[in-house]
Amino acid sequence: MRFDLNEDQSTYATFLEQMLAAPDTGFQPVEGWGRYDYGTALDAQLDENGFFDAAREEELGSVTAALMVYEAAQVPVCIECAASALIRPFLGRDVSRPLAVVVDDAPGAIRYLPQAKGLVSITATGVRYADLPEGAVQPVESLYAYPMGTVDRDALDWTALDVDTGDLRTLWQVAVAAELAGVLKAGMDAVIDHVRERRQFGQPLGAFQGVQHRLATAAVEIEGARLQMLKAAQSRSAQDAAAALGYVQGVATRITYDLHQFMGAMGLTLEHPLHRWSYRAKLLRADLGGSSASYLAYATERWGAA
Amino acid sequence: MDFTWTEDDAAYRARIKDFLARELPANWDEIARHGPGSPEQTEFSLEFCPKLAAEGLLIPHWPEEWGGAARPPWEHFILGEEMWRAGEPRGGQYMNVNWIGPVLMKYGSAEQQAQYIPPMAEGKAIWCQGFSEPGAGSDLASLRTRAVREGDDYVINGQKIWTSYAGLASTCFLLAQTGGAEGGRSGIAIFLVPMDTPGIEVRAIPSLIGHGDIHEVFFTDVRIPVSTRLGEEGEGWTIISYALANERVGIPRYEMGSAELDSMVAELQRRGQFSDSVVRSRAAAAAAACEAARLQVYRVVDGRARGAAPGNESNLARVAVVAAEQAVTDFGMDFLPDGFSGSDHMSMLSHHERAIVTGIAAGAAEIQLNLVARRHLNLPKGA
Ligand SMILES: Cc1cc2nc3c(=O)[nH]c(=O)nc-3n(C[C@H](O)[C@H](O)[C@H](O)COP(=O)(O)OP(=O)(O)OC[C@H]3O[C@@H](n4cnc5c(N)ncnc54)[C@H](O)[C@@H]3O)c2cc1C
Repeated sequence: MRFDLNEDQSTYATFLEQMLAAPDTGFQPVEGWGRYDYGTALDAQLDENGFFDAAREEELGSVTAALMVYEAAQVPVCIECAASALIRPFLGRDVSRPLAVVVDDAPGAIRYLPQAKGLVSITATGVRYADLPEGAVQPVESLYAYPMGTVDRDALDWTALDVDTGDLRTLWQVAVAAELAGVLKAGMDAVIDHVRERRQFGQPLGAFQGVQHRLATAAVEIEGARLQMLKAAQSRSAQDAAAALGYVQGVATRITYDLHQFMGAMGLTLEHPLHRWSYRAKLLRADLGGSSASYLAYATERWGAA
Repeated sequence: MDFTWTEDDAAYRARIKDFLARELPANWDEIARHGPGSPEQTEFSLEFCPKLAAEGLLIPHWPEEWGGAARPPWEHFILGEEMWRAGEPRGGQYMNVNWIGPVLMKYGSAEQQAQYIPPMAEGKAIWCQGFSEPGAGSDLASLRTRAVREGDDYVINGQKIWTSYAGLASTCFLLAQTGGAEGGRSGIAIFLVPMDTPGIEVRAIPSLIGHGDIHEVFFTDVRIPVSTRLGEEGEGWTIISYALANERVGIPRYEMGSAELDSMVAELQRRGQFSDSVVRSRAAAAAAACEAARLQVYRVVDGRARGAAPGNESNLARVAVVAAEQAVTDFGMDFLPDGFSGSDHMSMLSHHERAIVTGIAAGAAEIQLNLVARRHLNLPKGA
């Protein structure tokens, strides 16, 4: 058991941190007050420097890939990282990125579809892949801080992939858990900055114990989520992944509520970045059926069917 | 104890429902999806409130001398509940009806009453509430907008923020300091400021709840006559306490929540996804949260109807209402996440947009929790 990074992982993490801190990854309002800002430059930089391939490298592995998803989720711009870092290396063939993923034929719009070059479908019966031809995707307006889109799925040219669908589902659960833990962490950090500065009743908001306890609880839960997610990234066991995802989805609802409460009205403006994280969290916490579905899967893994 | 409605109350509710079914236009859902604070709905209220007035359904609880029918508090409450259930077609005019009108009746000069009350009674007045400032949110008494007396005028300088309806309002119910440098509650006075007075600038704040819902309002050397002051200098805090007591229960949001829950469940049933026991039990939990809020709110109304002194029940009720709204919107987000993208299920989306402000807009839920702890649980105050 070891919680620190090995040398390769440390180097990777240091470079990643530098790229994520580039000025154009910061918060800036989008024309027309759009809800998200796609980090095109950051995406290209990470891609060119091979960051999305961590999982393929023995010294880095899927834990490092999961860590990357967690870190990348914390910048106010969004980039398609989860599928590229944790699904793409395991498809058994080369596919372009950005990549979008749909599980169990969930209806409606899919995140990152407008940017995506290909779509992966994971169902109980198998994993399929389809390129997304130019013009096939319809961007969709959304409350969520993601680019969302739809595509006529029946019209795509699907290829069945020779991979273990259970393993891919597990990896995707880890990826979603990593991204969700990351956006919660970033939202919490932004709110902590705010309650440190903002004074009411002659003291910083962060000096009220009622505020402290709820933020402290969030910190404990996010750390618990992060560690479970990393463990699952290594074990790639269905049980670990279900626990990690169910847990972070379960705490996300309350944490998101608290973060907005402590920001007050400021948190509702598009001039403050909190929504860039909270409105990613709101979608991720319902992904793959949400917390209860993950927990049901966990129970089956651990104690057998009902 | 009796948890049933009287025949009169039930008939009154039915009458309002009939009226709404008859008078709300075919495109009402499209207007309502922008939310009660939107410019769309505020404009609509100028069409709709005169109809309510003509039907005797705008200000039935006001005294007869101001055009009302002195109807009892329960009727007034049922009216509000049905309006909110329908998405609040009165827009911001609900404030006039609930508290601005009654406050002017009690504290206004004859001139102010004659100028402002009749247009409210006719359903033609849009007001905004200039309380919060960048530095004064939960701690309202720390507001710094200043009104300085110069002869027969006051000159106002300062800034308000988060002001709803300011883009279309004709008058602002403004709080400002007139006292010494120490500020605080005792220095606050109220002014009824025409929004077209030179020196007032309104800027819409882009927000998660839509564009044109909340604003910044800047006051630069705004000169208004002394006659615009409501009550005396230093009387502002007393007056808003009276106003807020009129608003004791706040908005019956559980009513919208409960209606929204029904439509979410209908959608899940349509999709064949309402057989899952987790989903069913979460829907029931949200429904129960709405009922828990509803009954706590009803207890407050009952107190008012019986003329009891206001207690801390309203603090409990407000917290319960926030929890109810939260439970409903979380249910929707968890089980119909695709309902928040694209043009389908827009009512769900607008419900969510309303729900996210519930714990903040009318004063933070945490402030209510502080009051519950201190006044209801009698817990001691910290050092
Ligand atoms: C949609 C909307 C419409 C509004 N319309 C109007 C309007 O028309 N006119 C107007 O004047 N104002 C309006 N407001 C402003 C509203 O009244 C304020 O947002 C509210 O009073 C909270 O103030 P704040 O946002 O500055 O939050 P802050 O006072 O900065 O508080 C932020 C958070 O800190 C926490 N907190 C604060 N104090 C304490 C404490 N003592 N103990 C524990 N926790 C605490 C709470 O969680 C709180 O939510 C509106 C707000 C919204 C969201």
